[in-house]
Amino acid sequence: MSSTPSGEGAAGPFAVELRGITKRFPGVVANHDIDITVAPGTVHAIVGENGAGKSTLMKTLYGMHRPDEGHIRIRGEEVRFHSPSDAIRHGIGMVHQHFMLADNLTVLENVVLGAERRHGIGRRARARIQELSAQYGLGVDPDRLMEELGVGDRQRVEILKVLYRGAETIILDEPTAVLVPQEVDELFDNLRELKREGLTVIFISHKLDEVLSVADEITVIRRGTTVATADPRTTTARELATLMVGGELPVPELRESTVTDHVILSLNGVTVLSSEGRPVVDDVTLDIRRGEIVGIAGVEGNGQSELIEAIMGMRRAASGSIALEGQDITDWPTLRIREAGVGYIPEDRHRHGMLLDSPLWENRILGHQTREPSVRGPWINRSGARADSERIVTEYDVRTPNIDVIADALSGGNQQKFIIGREMSAQPHFLVAAHPTRGVDVGAQSAIWEQLREARAAGLAVLLVSADLDELIGMSDTLHVILRGRLVTEADPNSVTPEQLGSAMTGAGLGGADAHTEGGSGAEGTNGNESEGGA
Amino acid sequence: MSNPGRRTIAAPIVFGLAVLLGVAATFALDLFLLWWAALIIGVTLAFGLVAALAPFTPDESRIGADGTREEGTPLHNVLVVPMSLILAVAGGLVCAWVLDLQLIEPVAAALGALIGSALAFVLFHRLAAMMALSFAAVLAAGVLAVGVTAAVLLLSGIAPFRTFGRMAEFGTRPDSLVQIINSSITYYLAAVAVAIGFKMKLFNIGVDGQYRLAALLAAAVGGYLVLPPVVSQVVIIATAITVGGVWAGIAGYLKVARGVSEVISTIMLNAIATGITAYLLSTDRLAVEISTNNIGTPPMPESAWVPGIPAGFLGSDREIYGLVLLAVAVGFLYWMMLNRTRFGFELRATGQSQTAAEASGVNVKRMVFLSMLFSGMVAGLVGLPQLLGHSHYYALDFPAGIGFIGIAIALLGRNHPVGIVFAALLWAFLDQAAGILPFDGIPQEIAVIAQATIVLTVVVVYEVVHRWGRRYQQQQIGKQLGRAVESSGEAQ
Repeated sequence: MSSTPSGEGAAGPFAVELRGITKRFPGVVANHDIDITVAPGTVHAIVGENGAGKSTLMKTLYGMHRPDEGHIRIRGEEVRFHSPSDAIRHGIGMVHQHFMLADNLTVLENVVLGAERRHGIGRRARARIQELSAQYGLGVDPDRLMEELGVGDRQRVEILKVLYRGAETIILDEPTAVLVPQEVDELFDNLRELKREGLTVIFISHKLDEVLSVADEITVIRRGTTVATADPRTTTARELATLMVGGELPVPELRESTVTDHVILSLNGVTVLSSEGRPVVDDVTLDIRRGEIVGIAGVEGNGQSELIEAIMGMRRAASGSIALEGQDITDWPTLRIREAGVGYIPEDRHRHGMLLDSPLWENRILGHQTREPSVRGPWINRSGARADSERIVTEYDVRTPNIDVIADALSGGNQQKFIIGREMSAQPHFLVAAHPTRGVDVGAQSAIWEQLREARAAGLAVLLVSADLDELIGMSDTLHVILRGRLVTEADPNSVTPEQLGSAMTGAGLGGADAHTEGGSGAEGTNGNESEGGA
Repeated sequence: MSNPGRRTIAAPIVFGLAVLLGVAATFALDLFLLWWAALIIGVTLAFGLVAALAPFTPDESRIGADGTREEGTPLHNVLVVPMSLILAVAGGLVCAWVLDLQLIEPVAAALGALIGSALAFVLFHRLAAMMALSFAAVLAAGVLAVGVTAAVLLLSGIAPFRTFGRMAEFGTRPDSLVQIINSSITYYLAAVAVAIGFKMKLFNIGVDGQYRLAALLAAAVGGYLVLPPVVSQVVIIATAITVGGVWAGIAGYLKVARGVSEVISTIMLNAIATGITAYLLSTDRLAVEISTNNIGTPPMPESAWVPGIPAGFLGSDREIYGLVLLAVAVGFLYWMMLNRTRFGFELRATGQSQTAAEASGVNVKRMVFLSMLFSGMVAGLVGLPQLLGHSHYYALDFPAGIGFIGIAIALLGRNHPVGIVFAALLWAFLDQAAGILPFDGIPQEIAVIAQATIVLTVVVVYEVVHRWGRRYQQQQIGKQLGRAVESSGEAQ
């Protein structure tokens, strides 16, 4: 269908037309000179790396903030959205990555909430929902309670909510991040159904295989701007990947192996239950040694966060044990675990890693509030904390005017470098690094990798969780794939390709590649006590 | 006045010159002008000297407290400089006015000019943009609040300026000043109690019930238990702290153990406290007849009183509550706890981001319970200045509702130990100054309108200005680092 948009251009206006969109945030330009045209009745994919500016762009289109420059046209008519409700009025709907549904309400109640004026809250609303559900093949029962529904069903309810509000163009922000492969297929069937009924879908993703299978046209965003438009029938995943990263990215790689036999962290049958009692981390057994980086690959939401939180003592393991240097730390509080020599680079640094409203030097104390040089007994050691913050700023190349600025004023990459410097400052034995380069610019990314390499050479054991498969393959000595809370496969980072890893992450196995490490790397010692193929 | 040379002048020399110029000009002009006009001109001249000599002053004294180089930026020129001038003049005027109560006018004016000129130097070089912004916000809010109050007066057919004049005149009489200080001691304690909770994002609405229950039981202990001096006061204060702490601790426990919102539980505990005080305050139980129509706890023996501080220096023969020192100590401890201790750091961290605190190993539940406990302990003190310094018994007419005033004052003072001092003084001033209005046939409620408007405007204006300033600061930093360029590939 990719040739049709230009053909239709003359006949009918574009469903959505973005021209020269520029959006600046303090200190950074999130989007500049974005040009996208979306033909009606198509699935238009927007791909780009994490942090390339996809979400910022979609928030602009959905009226969540206003562009500094540029024009938005909907069906040929120029619009200025002041709020999402303006966007909805013009037939633009958005399904967010994180669902916004009330568990204790029924599907009907969730759908009509906030849109009571359209068809009331009673019989007419129910009829309309059933009609929409049948028309688009969503198979949603208006009277089910939301908490009874699975993730795929919830997503369909979100789509129904948007349709109910009269949307003709639907934005889906990373819709597959939370889905398992079967659910992804179902979603794609739904999208094709929507398209057949004449609706337009804008599909945000960084997963190339999915994009190629469902989209009619693909726009690639890199570093905040549109770099290419591709036709999925004639483009390969490799070409798209090159367009996405631009060929100038630093390559994550480890030099010689530094893995030793000395086990630092040992997980034994760790199981973590969700609040509903479902296992989100299921019987994970894993050893991490001195000088070893163990990578965990997996589709987001497959238990990585819960596993980390269990190690950090923020979540209790239902069964199994965690040992640090032979000591059982399963029931220790977070503070004690940190004091025992565990560093933590959290996946969401704004929520878990920083006090955004506090000056940088106070952030030095965070997580180290019981240790030198930040404190002296019950007192805060201001000069100690300040001096050490200065050291971190210098050694880790944190770009900041000084250590008195609030953390929020720094760019993501510099915040992350400061966090890494802080976590390293206490000479940890073991480091949890969750998405250490997420949302970080290219320069900071290579600096962070270099710091991890140096720490590894100095004997640090690292658990690396990342969504960046190249990072995982390049930086790991040992690589595990997590699926629905279980470590299902071990891959050899020396030979595995991102494609193979990607298929293993969705449960299809490594697809011919040898799942076990072979000689030559220092990681072979880990094979003996792995629990594998659990799924 | 500017130095023709290109060399630098040591900061102390500039400081000395400025002070000398300010004092000399004020002293000379005082011969021809009213003292305050002379002082304003003197301090302004000193400020001008400081500004003129700024390029020759060494760099290390010219950096704002938040460390960014701010001089020369538009914000600095249009906001920080005028704000420091206003603050310096205001500081000088207030000092001169207080000193004038004691000293002869020319001396007071000269001393005021000395302080004002010194402030001019310090503020010009040290006032950080964010601080200046805060002061400007408060000033703007004040002007707005006065405007709204004036409009209300006009609509009611009352001349606003005459009313304000009457309030200012009555509120600054010596006896009024003592009354204002005494009220604000009580208000201050209540506001600090609320602020401890606010710092943790906990809303202790229950200060009211906590202090009334604490005051009743402390008064009963003081009235029935005859102890030697010092021991007696210590026991009474300890009782009040304990009762306040326990009462707030219940809400803290419910929050931690059962997830009950502290807003709900403290409101309910207020009601229960009212019930308990009514139950205990009857002649069958704790109370005795104080006078006709009034019952209360038995008056304390003199050994339990806290002597007042004679306010002769303000020109009044009344006394300031001796427990003003307790309020000062509480304020100091609050500041030190917040900024200098690990506990305070954890408290602020939890208030700012509960998730970050948890990931850093802060035991959030423990922090919630402890901050609620501390809030209640301070709340327990609220009734004591009045109890030990003035009434010496808890009776039916013991002031109620101070806990709610404390919430407003904590908001007004931005939970800052010094900010709350000014907020409490302002509140007490409005309370006191409005007392004269009924004599002129003006409704006294005008003070309540003013208080409410001030709280609203300060909260709103401060928040707006603060956000704007934050964004501005980020942009400045972006510019300084030269990374606000199109090539930055990062989206936030």
